[in-house]
Parts: sequence; C-alpha cells; structure tokens
Amino acid sequence: MTLQEQIRSNRIRTGVVLLGFAVLALAFVAVVAGAYDPGIAGVVGVVAIVYGLFSWFAAGRMIAAASGAHPVTKAEQPELYRVLENVAIAAGLTKTPDLYMIDDASPNAFAAGRNPEHAYVAVTTGLVALLDERELEGVLAHEVAHIRNRDVRLMSLAAVLVGVIALASDMLMRITIFGGGDRREGGLGAFGAIIGIVAALLAPIGAALLQMALSRRREYLADASAVETTGDAEGLARALAALRDDHRPLQKVTRATAHMYIESPLRDHKGLRSSLGGLFDTHPPLEDRIRVLEQMGGFTVSQA
Amino acid sequence: MVLWIVIGVVAVVLVWLVFTYNRLIRLRNESEQGYSSIDIQLKRRADLIPNLVETVKAYAAHERAVFDDVTEARARTLAAGSVGDAVAAEQQMRGALGRLFAVAEAYPQLRASENFQQLQEELSDTEDKIAAARRYYNNVVRRFNTAQQTLPTSLLAGPLGFRPREFFELEDEGDRAPARVEL
Repeated sequence: MTLQEQIRSNRIRTGVVLLGFAVLALAFVAVVAGAYDPGIAGVVGVVAIVYGLFSWFAAGRMIAAASGAHPVTKAEQPELYRVLENVAIAAGLTKTPDLYMIDDASPNAFAAGRNPEHAYVAVTTGLVALLDERELEGVLAHEVAHIRNRDVRLMSLAAVLVGVIALASDMLMRITIFGGGDRREGGLGAFGAIIGIVAALLAPIGAALLQMALSRRREYLADASAVETTGDAEGLARALAALRDDHRPLQKVTRATAHMYIESPLRDHKGLRSSLGGLFDTHPPLEDRIRVLEQMGGFTVSQA
Repeated sequence: MVLWIVIGVVAVVLVWLVFTYNRLIRLRNESEQGYSSIDIQLKRRADLIPNLVETVKAYAAHERAVFDDVTEARARTLAAGSVGDAVAAEQQMRGALGRLFAVAEAYPQLRASENFQQLQEELSDTEDKIAAARRYYNNVVRRFNTAQQTLPTSLLAGPLGFRPREFFELEDEGDRAPARVEL
C-alpha cells in the first residue's frame, strides 16, 4: 500500500466513521423522541452537536490536557526543535508541527491535531534523555509521518465522537433519574432508563471499535515513511530497541489516548491482553517492527 | 449486447485516464512544491552569505580569492533557472564555503567572535534544512519519474506532456546511504 493509497484509505475511513456515527445518532434521537418527547430529543441533539463541534476544534488541546503535554518554544528546546523542523521539511509538510513536552521519565511520544496545519508532536522528557539525536530524529519522523498520513486526524475524530456519545448518554441518564414532572407516562421512564444504560455502555465499546479500526498496520507504515523521510532505518530501529528495553510506565495515560503513542504506554498491563492473544493491542510488537526495519536497512540492532 | 460491452470498456478506459492524469498532476505539483522548498532554504542561506563574508573579511582581508568565490557562488545560486544550474551552483558553493571556513581556522580571534559563531550555527542549520528539502524533493521526483516510466502510466505520460524531472543530487554525496523502502 503506497502512501497516497494510505491517505486515500484514511479519507474513506473518516467518511465511514462519520456516516456510521450519523446513523447511530439519528437512531439515538429517534428512540429518545419516542421514549421522552421531541423537545428533550432536540435539546440533547443540539447540545451534543455543539459539544462535538467545540471539541473537534479543541481536540488537540484536550488531548494535551489529558496526557499532561504542554507546548515548548524553540528557545527552550533549540536542538529538538531543529530536528523536528528538518524532519517536517523532509516529509514535505508545509508547516512544522508545534512541539509539546510531557514531564515524565518514561520514554514515549505521540502526535495529535485535526489536520497537518494544526498538529503537534509531543515527547516525554524521558525520551529526550534516553535517545541520541539520530534516534530522536527517527521517532520524530515517525510522528510526523502519522501527521502527514492523516492518521492523526482520524484518531482525533474518533476521540471526539466517543466523547459526544458519552455526553449524550450521560445527559439521558440524568434526565431519566432526576427527570421532572413533564414526563408523560411512568412506564416510559423505566424504558428510558434502559436506553440510557445501553447508550452509556455503547460509548466505551464504540471507543474500542474505533481504536481497532485504526489498524496496527498504520504503525508499520509510519515506520516506513519515517525511513523514507530520514533515509536512516537504523536510527529508528535503535530508538525502538531502546523503548523496548525501558519498562517504566507512563504516569498520565488513559485508554482513550493509548492508541496515539509510538509505543503502547499500557504495555505492562499484560494479564488480560496476552490472554486475548493481542486482539486488543493498539500496537504491533516492537520486536516485529524492529525486524522490518532491519530488513530495510540491512543491519541488526542488539537483542534484548 | 456488444454495444454494452463497448460502452463498458470505454467507461473503464475513461475512468483510468482521469485517475492516471490526476495522479501525474499531483506528483508534478508535489515535485514543484518540493523544489520551491529547496529554493526557500537556498535563499535563506544566500541571505547569510554577505554578512559572513564581511565578518571574515574583518579579520582576514587579504584572502580576496575566497571571498570572490563565495560571492560568485551566491550569485549563481540566486540566478539558477533550472535544477541543473542550481545543482552546479550548489556544488560551487560547497567548495567555496569549505575554503572560507578553512581560512577562518587560521584566525583564532575570528573563531572566538560571537558573531562568527552565530553565523556558523545558522549556516549549518540551513545546510541541514537544504539536505532535508532535497531528500523530500528527490523522493517525490523518484515517484513521479517511476510513474512516467512504468506501464501502463507510461503510455499516457508522454502524450500528455509529462517529462521526467531532474534529481537534486550532488557529486561528493556525504549523505547516509539511502535505505530501500517499499511503500
């Protein structure tokens, strides 16, 4: 699959996600309208739409807040910024993404933002401390590749839509529980409560499905694009090996953002995951990614 | 029946024509964008040169040949009308700057001056960015040229007026060996 095909496939997936969501939302509103009254359905709908639009435009900042990332200026991190600028130029981005840092000793990185013009790359202080410049270049190129391939947009959209579903179902639960006297019939209240509970269950399931829709192949593709960008497969492979050998978990991470990192930040929660044979893994094993890079560049990095 | 088959074939060919044409146009636009990104960095460096020459001159006024060399390379860079010209100018610039810095080595006071150090740093930053922009341009051009040379796109590329583009490659390439990437 070429880069252009990947970008096109991401556009199609974005469309499918939006369409699926619209159908879900319509069904939701119809059920609410039946169970309560059109007025409440309208209010819930409008609030959800406003909230969705707001969070789409604030998605980058919300993800930053959830992961503890804060923007840093070129003056604060001149070397790192320079590497990012060069990688962005080599990847053909017209604008260098902003640079964010997370104060955390665990080495990791992610990219976020609704489009390449409003995107940023976040790295932990641990990553900068652990890797040399060549390895950092590989990691930054991987993140920039996610931005260029529009992976980041799809992921941000997924996060926002899951939030919208959660908000709407939460509102319904409250209306059902604390609902005033204008409820038309007693029987529908219980019915509404069930719907509310079902909807509340839908949100996390939706989140899991969306994360899986963002297939793991994307990581391999971002690795390959990164190598095309830097011309240096070994730098990235060595960085991945360093990440593999480091076992400190990230302090501030949620399931909602786990899929965005260069390496799964939840890797030490092994019990459930390994019993499901990696079905719910958001990332392919680092070992496999390193092997692919070794084949590209014809070298080997040290084994763990 | 036969009519429908003919219509079907024509429709498929038309769709293929449109897709291929759009793809070639997109690649051509991308390579032009890639070239202008190199150009921006080359201009940025050209802007640093007069200042650099003045700074070195203040300590090593008699090294006129080196200054002329750098200034001439700068003028050639700014006047370059094609990729080939730009590559030749770049080749000359590299040699000239190398000699300029070799001269600077002999003047400890110059090397210690803050102005010179800052210029040197900005220059090396710009060189990195030129290298990055060249890498992007060459990657896109490789894709563009390959598309024009491989079947079935090659049947269309020539008649539609697409021409392969020149790579921005320097002779004494000190770059890291490119990895083979199958995207």
